[in-house]
Amino acid sequence: MKEITAYKCKKCGRIHYPKHERCLTCKHREFEPIHPEGNVKLLTFTQIFNLPWGFDERFLYIGVVQFANGVKAMGQIDAPDGADLRLGMTLKAEWEPVRTVFDEPVYGLKLKPLG
Amino acid sequence: MRDVAIIGVGMIPFGRRDEDTLVDMLAYASMKALDDAGVDAVDALYVANMGGGVIQRQTAIASALVDRLSLLPAAADLVENGPASGGSAVKNGVLAVASGYYDVVLVAGGEKMREVTGWRATDFVATLTHPETEYPYGITLPGMAGMFTRLYMEKYGVTREMLVQIAIKNQTMGALNPYAHVEMMITKEGVMDSPHSVVNNPPAATPLHLYDMCPVSDGAAAVILCPLNRVKELTKNLPVVVAGFGQATDTHTLAEREDPTDLKAVTLAAQQAFERAKMKPEEISVAELHDAFTILEIAESEHVGFFKKGEGGKAVLEGKTRLGGQLPINVSGGLKARGHPVGATGVAQIVELTWQLRHELPKERQVKGAKAGFSINFGGFGNNVVAFVLKRGEK
Ligand SMILES: [Zn+2]
Repeated sequence: MKEITAYKCKKCGRIHYPKHERCLTCKHREFEPIHPEGNVKLLTFTQIFNLPWGFDERFLYIGVVQFANGVKAMGQIDAPDGADLRLGMTLKAEWEPVRTVFDEPVYGLKLKPLG
Repeated sequence: MRDVAIIGVGMIPFGRRDEDTLVDMLAYASMKALDDAGVDAVDALYVANMGGGVIQRQTAIASALVDRLSLLPAAADLVENGPASGGSAVKNGVLAVASGYYDVVLVAGGEKMREVTGWRATDFVATLTHPETEYPYGITLPGMAGMFTRLYMEKYGVTREMLVQIAIKNQTMGALNPYAHVEMMITKEGVMDSPHSVVNNPPAATPLHLYDMCPVSDGAAAVILCPLNRVKELTKNLPVVVAGFGQATDTHTLAEREDPTDLKAVTLAAQQAFERAKMKPEEISVAELHDAFTILEIAESEHVGFFKKGEGGKAVLEGKTRLGGQLPINVSGGLKARGHPVGATGVAQIVELTWQLRHELPKERQVKGAKAGFSINFGGFGNNVVAFVLKRGEK
C-alpha cells in the first residue's frame, strides 16, 4: 500500500507510523521508508455511535490493525451493524474515502472482512 | 526547592451554564479561591483551558482573567495540555512557588463545552488525536477508550458488571455533591439487568455503554498556592501540602504502544509523585482518579499501585473503593458525575482533595480522618498524565 509510508529504524528495526525524528526505542535517526503490504490482523476495535462533527453515519467501526510486515495503523472497518468482528481476525486493507471535507473525499485505510 | 501549600480553593457547580461565559466561570471560581484563602493579590496566575480558541474563538484567556480579577500586573500564563491542562497548570504553579520565584499563585481551570452541540464537542476533544493517522477516521475519545477496554477486559478479566458498579458508585456520590453535573442515582437493574436497560444504557463505543462515559460539562475550579513557611501570615486556613507531583508522557498514537493495555505515563507519573512525597500508595486515604470512562478508574487504580493488575475491578465489587472502604475513590462523583469540563478537571480534583484533607465536607461525603490524597489527571488517551500526592498540613 504505497499511500502509507512507515519508517523502519536502521539500527534496531522498530517500525514507526507516523514519522518520528528519532527512534522511539533506540533514538537512532536513520530510517528506511517501508510500505505496508498484504492483509492485516485486527488488534482491537470499537463500534462508535456518537460520531464527531463531519460524519453523518449512524455508527462507525474503527480498529487498530497490524500488517504482515509489522506496520500498525488505525483504520475504519467496513462492516454492517452487528458484524461478527473478533480480535486477531484477518481483514483486507484498502485505501478509500473515509470522510468528506468541503465536498471532497479524504482517503484513508479502509478494512474489510474477507469473503 | 521550597515546600508548597494550598491555602485557598474555589469551585462553581459544573453542568450546563448557558448564562456564563468561559471567563465568567474562571472569574467566579478564582474569586472563591481568593476569598477562601483571604488573599487579595497574587504574583502569578496559571490558567488551564483546552478549547477557548476552538469553541469560543477566544485566545489569551489568562490575560483576560487577570484583568477581570483586577490582579494586574501579576504574571499570567495559559496552560493548554488537553484534558490534563488542569493538572499541568497546578504543576506549573507548584514549580513557580517551589523555585522561590513567586510566592502567591492562583491556578484556575475552566471549560465551556455546552455552547456547541455534542457533535461539535466530540469533534473538539478528538482534535487531540493524531491529525493524519487517527483524526480523519472519525475516532473519538470514547472510541479510544472502547478499543482500550476491549483489550483490558480480555487481558485482566474486567467485566461489564465491574464497570457498571463504578458508574453506580460515582453517580451515587455525585448525587451528594452540590458541585456535580449529574445528580441522579442509577441502579444495576436500570442500566444492565432489566429489559429497559438496552434503551437506558445503549452501546456508545463498544464495549462501553452510555453510562460508562462522563458527561460534557461547563465548569471552573481554582486554587491558591504559597510557600509552606508563609502560610501563617497569609491565611487562617489549615494548609494542605503538595507533598509530591509527577508527570509523564507516552506515544501520541494508540497504535504505536507496544502494549496498549499498559498505561506507562500513569505508572510513571504516580511513581514520581510518591517518590517526591516519600510515601507509598497504602498511605493514601482518598483518591480522585480520572474516570472519563469507567474503565479508567479500574486501570488507573492498578497502574498507580493501589491494587495489583487484575485486582482493581474486584476491589470495586467488594466495595473497597466506596466511601467507608479501604480506599475511597472519586467520592466527589469523579468525572463521571461531577462532569468533565476538560480544562477544569485537574484543578477540581485538587479542590476536592483539599476539602477532604481539611475535613470540612458534610459527613455523608467526608472521608473520616483523611490525611493524604492522590489524584490522576489523564490527558490525551494516556499520553500526558499528571499525578499529585497531597497531605493534610498543621495549623
Ligand atoms: Zn531504533
